[in-house]
Amino acid sequence: MNPLMNMMGNNSMMMKAFGAMMRGENPTDFLKNLANTNPALQGLDLNNLEGTARALCEKNNVNMEQLADQIRGFANSNIPKM
Amino acid sequence: MGDTSFGGGWIFAFLIIAVIFGWGGGMGGNSQAATVADLNSAFAAQNAQNILLSSANNNYETAQLISNQNMQMMNQNNSNLVNAIQGFNQISSSVQGGFSNLSAQIADLGYKMENCCCSIKTMMLENRLQDAQTALLQSQTANIVNAQSQYLLSQLGTYTPAAAGVVI
Repeated sequence: MNPLMNMMGNNSMMMKAFGAMMRGENPTDFLKNLANTNPALQGLDLNNLEGTARALCEKNNVNMEQLADQIRGFANSNIPKM
Repeated sequence: MGDTSFGGGWIFAFLIIAVIFGWGGGMGGNSQAATVADLNSAFAAQNAQNILLSSANNNYETAQLISNQNMQMMNQNNSNLVNAIQGFNQISSSVQGGFSNLSAQIADLGYKMENCCCSIKTMMLENRLQDAQTALLQSQTANIVNAQSQYLLSQLGTYTPAAAGVVI
């Protein structure tokens, strides 16, 4: 199985996000719909995705740029093969 | 339509999801460690898959090369067989032509033999005629000699030596 698909299979949220992105959906709308059934997303300012993401990364001691590069590079190197 | 690239808000959406839900099924907490580990694992798996794919492609190309070589050899063999069959056909044609020539020569020989036989027969008849003529001539000569002898003998019967002044 494709590694990305394998990892996506272990994380339904990421799989759904990739699917929504490939379908051209709006990321804010996607997260808002997701927040309806996922308490972890509730209470976040989803109208300011960049600020929210940066705040979450700082709170969890995550290097946002590094993680973004990894996600971007990983997706760019795998999505065409899906 | 929304953004389908990472240049817009999607990268932040992924960041939020990655930090909150984590990669590989992790939920919050050590999200960075889980994310990096999962990414590395995924990269390694992808690399292994690429190696397998490359190996498979190499195998496929090798099989294709061998198949092409086999096909070329089969084509060459077929070409050789065709050439051999054509060669046999040429030989067969040559043999057939040879038989045709031989048949014509036999027929010609038969014609010549018939002519030769006719000539021999004619010569034999001519010889017989000549023999018969010779025999007839000899017979005529003998008859003439015999007639002359009879005449001479008849003349001898009337011969009187005394009258002829001959003393016996």
